[in-house]
Amino acid sequence: MPQSSLYQEEHYPSPLQYTWMEFKKNHIAVAGLFCFAFFLIITIFCPLLAPFDPNMQQIGDLLIPPSWYPNGGISHLFGTDALGRDLLSRIIYGCRTTFGISLLLVVVAMFLGVGLGALAGMSKGFRSSFINHTLDSIQAIPTLLIAIIIIAILGTGLVNSMWAIALALIPQFVHQTRDFIRHELSKEYIMAAKLDGASKTHIFMHSILPNMGEMLVVQGTLALSVSILDISALGFLKLGAQAPSSELGAMLLEGIEVAYIAPWTIAVPGGALFIMIISINLVGDGLRSALRNRLLH
Amino acid sequence: MTKVLLRYTNLVLATLFVLSLLSFILAYLFPGQAIENLTGLRLLELTERQNSELKYAVDANILVQYWHYMGELFAGNWGVSFSSGLPLIEDVSHYLPASIELSAYALFLSFFIGLPLGFLAALRHHKFTDYSLLSVSLLGYSIPVFWLALILILFFSLQLGWFPLSGRISLLFEIPRATGFILIDILLSDSIDKSAALTSALRHLILPTLSIAVVTTTLIIRITRRSVIKTLNSEFILAAYARGLTPRQVLMRHGVRNALIPILPLLAMQFPTLLTNAMIVESIFSWPGIGNWLIQAIYQQDYPAIRAGMLAVSVLVVIFTMSIDLTIRLTDPRRRRAERATI
Repeated sequence: MPQSSLYQEEHYPSPLQYTWMEFKKNHIAVAGLFCFAFFLIITIFCPLLAPFDPNMQQIGDLLIPPSWYPNGGISHLFGTDALGRDLLSRIIYGCRTTFGISLLLVVVAMFLGVGLGALAGMSKGFRSSFINHTLDSIQAIPTLLIAIIIIAILGTGLVNSMWAIALALIPQFVHQTRDFIRHELSKEYIMAAKLDGASKTHIFMHSILPNMGEMLVVQGTLALSVSILDISALGFLKLGAQAPSSELGAMLLEGIEVAYIAPWTIAVPGGALFIMIISINLVGDGLRSALRNRLLH
Repeated sequence: MTKVLLRYTNLVLATLFVLSLLSFILAYLFPGQAIENLTGLRLLELTERQNSELKYAVDANILVQYWHYMGELFAGNWGVSFSSGLPLIEDVSHYLPASIELSAYALFLSFFIGLPLGFLAALRHHKFTDYSLLSVSLLGYSIPVFWLALILILFFSLQLGWFPLSGRISLLFEIPRATGFILIDILLSDSIDKSAALTSALRHLILPTLSIAVVTTTLIIRITRRSVIKTLNSEFILAAYARGLTPRQVLMRHGVRNALIPILPLLAMQFPTLLTNAMIVESIFSWPGIGNWLIQAIYQQDYPAIRAGMLAVSVLVVIFTMSIDLTIRLTDPRRRRAERATI
């Protein structure tokens, strides 16, 4: 809202603007948003940003400490690992693998989850309860177990672990969508649409879906942090991305062997992972409380 | 009441049926021959006669096969492991208690810390305490559990040498197995130096328990905080104030109990997360639990073990969550159906 209004008419911010105004009040969340944007930029432009090839081994430069150590150098900002690969470049590429793939997985899971959730929410009786119970049982099984089963069938690898994580992410979206639809269906604007003769698909596409965006974004940030944790955990357990790949979890695993003499090989990838997840959770938290506070006005 | 009970029994039975069917189908989906995956026996190593008997069973209708499979499952004959050659039911009953023990201690610890802190944060809502607790809990549930475990090992085991690196108890002790839970076993046995064994077991327990408990505690703090805030904003609290009760009385008589009711089912929803974390931590600390065993089974392509382990763990989870759900449903008539957690 402008400070001094020249005209008599009042300006009412749209719901989206209201959300942004509420979000801006929380400075930590805004910092998280900047961090998130930073990782997004790294993910997109990583070949331009990385100083070295992530898999190039420099035989003369094994285990160089990071630049803040007394005997570290400036040419390798985060030092090098046991094979003489530049850690900074590996982290940058690792962000692309971990963050980018998680983002992709969340989008896929969101589409499938919203579709199934709409099916479950708009229908009644057997079909709805079948979807519910199937998903409840999937949700009851720990993600790692689903991943172990899928990897046992298909073999280890990044793509196979992606299937497992997508499968584990979908139920959350289905539940949220279904609960949201159930809630909205009892409202009056839906009744108005029904009285106008709108079909079920029409009600969903034109009345409910536009209102679902915020819920989906919030749910998406939650799913994103879960999926990053899962993908790196699988990489760490040698079930997901395999050794030469610069996935952050797999890098941590490689770092363990030299962790005692070169602690930065596990501190730096883990720290990157930690900051990534914190920034996502900050944005998600801030967004949720912004939406909650907006409704209070 | 009976209707609810019947409904839940029905649900549990249906879910267990689906799980058993799934574990049967898995034998066909895994690489290799289905019959090898189901029994764990290598066809090449069997005699001609056993081989033909197995062939006879395999050639039967798939429904008949499933019927036989279920019969064997209930008879306690789960097949043998590819890698160790031991009966799987023994392996599972050996490793599962260790996992349950670890997760249970972690859960208790997080309840012990999380509940009071959650109440504290809610009572100081929008004050400094609340914000600092919230930010700490945000850090807690953002930290990757395997990284946390590694840092704890690096710092407390390697740097300071306070706690042992891995395992369950010092190898010097030989504890006779009675229940599979190490602390109980130590207390039950009488041939050894109890206090020394207990100290050793506890020292082994601390780091893995801590690494699991950090995430769970932060979840409990957030769930408790949300629930208490919601309760304290409801109208019966206002009514209690209007009747002239002091804030303390209002909290003790009306707040605590009503806030605690919704917490339990929301926590039950987090149980799979707890188990996933426990499995990862087990494999880092070489804790002889089911998660470590399953991950080893993947490395060794031990398909019968994966099938049996998956069945055991998922049955455990389903029965656990369903019984919590049922308890809540029976004790709290307001609840119509389960709500989802928001943290």
